[in-house]
Amino acid sequence: MKISRDWLQTFFDTPLPPAQKLKEQLESHVFEVESIEKVGGDEVLDVKVTPNRGHDALSHRGIAKELSAILELPLSNDPFVVRPLLAPVTTEVSIKLDSNLCKRYIAGYIKGVTVGPSPAWLKTRLEAVGQRSINNVVDATNFVMFNMGQPLHAFDAGKLEIQDSRFKIQVRNAREGETMVALDKKEYKLTSSMLIITAGDAPVGIAGVKGGMPAAIDETTKGIVIESANFDGVSVRKTAQALKLRTDASARFEQVLSPELAAHGMQAVAALIIELAGGELAGFVDVYPEPQKPMFANVTVEKVNAVLGTALTGADIADAFTRLGFAYKEEASVFEVQAPFERLDIALPEDLAEEVARVVGYDKIPSTPLPKFDKQPEINKNFAAAEKAREELVAKGYSEVYTSVFADKGERMVLNKVDSVRPYLRESLLPGLQEALKKNIPNKDLLGLKEVKLFEVGTVWKGGKELVTLGMIGEKEKASEKILEPMDADAYEILPLSTATRFEQFSKYPYIVRDIAIWVPNGTEPVEVLKTIKQEAGELAHKITLFDRFEKEGKTSLAYRIIFQSFDRTLTEVEVNESMAKIGRILVDKGFVIR
Amino acid sequence: MASIHPISSLIREANQIFLQMGFTFAEGPLLEDEWHNFDALNVPKDHPVRDMQDTFYIKDEPGHVLRTHTSNVQIRYMEEQIKKGIQPPYRAVSMGKVFRNESTDMGHEAEFSQIEALVVGTDITLANLKGTLGLLFEKIFQGSVEIRFRPSFFAFTEPSVEMDMRLSGDHVPEKLRDKWMEMGGAGMVHPNVLKNSGVDPKKYQGFAFGFGLDRLAMLKWSIDDIRLMHSADLRFTNQF
Repeated sequence: MKISRDWLQTFFDTPLPPAQKLKEQLESHVFEVESIEKVGGDEVLDVKVTPNRGHDALSHRGIAKELSAILELPLSNDPFVVRPLLAPVTTEVSIKLDSNLCKRYIAGYIKGVTVGPSPAWLKTRLEAVGQRSINNVVDATNFVMFNMGQPLHAFDAGKLEIQDSRFKIQVRNAREGETMVALDKKEYKLTSSMLIITAGDAPVGIAGVKGGMPAAIDETTKGIVIESANFDGVSVRKTAQALKLRTDASARFEQVLSPELAAHGMQAVAALIIELAGGELAGFVDVYPEPQKPMFANVTVEKVNAVLGTALTGADIADAFTRLGFAYKEEASVFEVQAPFERLDIALPEDLAEEVARVVGYDKIPSTPLPKFDKQPEINKNFAAAEKAREELVAKGYSEVYTSVFADKGERMVLNKVDSVRPYLRESLLPGLQEALKKNIPNKDLLGLKEVKLFEVGTVWKGGKELVTLGMIGEKEKASEKILEPMDADAYEILPLSTATRFEQFSKYPYIVRDIAIWVPNGTEPVEVLKTIKQEAGELAHKITLFDRFEKEGKTSLAYRIIFQSFDRTLTEVEVNESMAKIGRILVDKGFVIR
Repeated sequence: MASIHPISSLIREANQIFLQMGFTFAEGPLLEDEWHNFDALNVPKDHPVRDMQDTFYIKDEPGHVLRTHTSNVQIRYMEEQIKKGIQPPYRAVSMGKVFRNESTDMGHEAEFSQIEALVVGTDITLANLKGTLGLLFEKIFQGSVEIRFRPSFFAFTEPSVEMDMRLSGDHVPEKLRDKWMEMGGAGMVHPNVLKNSGVDPKKYQGFAFGFGLDRLAMLKWSIDDIRLMHSADLRFTNQF
């Protein structure tokens, strides 16, 4: 998520270090930062919040809290410190929860607002994180979401149906085929598995995903009903997926949020709207059937060290918890920790060990060899068989290739393949090997091979089974494939490893082969002749080999094969012929006779 | 010259290194059920965590995927041991193909190879993970190695870390010398993963790590395009 440095600064009295330093610190202790972007005088970090921290860290406050622990800077302005007070209560709004997928629903009713443009500071904040300013009311809801993580929505009260002199808000499953036009002006067809918000039974919002046009805020809006609710993560995720409507709200709900957060969000947004748009607070209604219980987790000093392999003291651990803002009791080396309400990820001793490790720093973890191990490793019979086959075949001149498991036909097919070609799982290695053979034959001279011979040890899916087979193919033999049978062995053979030190890039352009044979006086060094040829041919001669040598009537015949190839273009016959003519001339000049 | 595939050579080498430390080369199917690929690894259904990997699902076989990692072998290996009545300590390594449904380029392939290691015992720590990785990379790169952990998240480990490596020494190719390189993910096996495999998490703990063999090969031999691995081009293979 995009995090503005200026915005983060609002949580601290002490000046924060530059963005680059923030990136380094975040990456060492909590999240990767994909980029830093300059926006006006601000710097915006793209922070990759991991899925386990979507509960608490998809907000500026969440990142500020982490920085507070990492940099040991106190948060001077933490919205979660004060218990929210949702007062007064209004009777002008009623709420009915018809689904347990809504854990909490708070409505706030404000009368007499003036909808208009947002002040410059608010526009700057939102624009820094890539949001467009809409109006003061909508911007306030977005600001609070990016500030503390609670998705919020404001309905135009004037467009909500009134029954028995109150707004009757209901959270229920949509009826099959029910439709609603959302704020993006598109009509969505709803299904009974989707949760919606209704006013007097008319849909006004898709729960946790998007608000509806029927109660959209505009310049004429006078009264607003604000929603700060908690919806089930799985339900929101499925709905957003089904409607192909992923929003900043749904992205947060699907990570599962604490219902406690809803009260903080409501209090903050109501205050901000009144500050920006005026109006008078009529009051709140809060339906919260099962309040979140305090979350406790225990860990001992011993356990932390047993997991991390460290020698941390109780004081080190206590310091980490304090920096994270975790309440704890320490008794006889046992820490009983109460995680802050938003940290839904803290439950196990291992979770606490991780918190300690990342605050203390992973650079403090020593490097220790494994303890002694008494068990004998088992020999993998399939691997032993594959290795034996590899060794035998390489000795016979076969090269090992890996070809794709994806094929044009087969018994099984994958769904939604991104590149949509070859969606089947192969039932044989042979089509892949045949293709590979065809591809390699034209390179025979370049490879210095008399015959291309290939094999693969690979997985196929045939007869309803997954099998590992050995496939072989060569220019002069019929392709064959057999199931690789496991091999009984007491030990693995120690087989040679690749001795290559580095891969040499090869040219993707075609090559041209020329042979030249000459008579030279006996005793002439073939290497010297090769050097001469090489010098004359220049860098177009990719490879020069002596492929034949014999003596006759007091003379020696040397035959060289020259492979011409360029790294940047396709060579023409004409230029290769010119090169050969030059080579011929120099050899004649040396007194050799071309055969 | 005819030769084995560079990944096969790396697998052979890694197996020799791990064998000396007592690791068994374990296996699992490539076409895997969601239990072994996801659920048992603590990756919940209908949770954003499942989006971390682009998965190939199989037509008309709901609940089956092409494995997205070799971590399925962790579960299979432990299940098998428990079934045989063998309690930890365990040391297992697995190497083989994995799949991601993504478009390919010089750095990405839909099919590639991974190595995965699992160590479970009463006294296995994150420090042992660092030590084991250091030893492995020292042998493979013939240089001295520093290992750095960065915080991360994987559903199947707690704590979870990204592992980086920095090589130094004369044998190390200059391109790689004295630079931090991201190698892969690791961590302490999540207690739920042990429990799901039948191992008592109150008694035992352990570490696991996994990383791409293609990337390792690319680093070791300065290969710039991952697609060469499945090119079946002998201008590539025969160099190894």
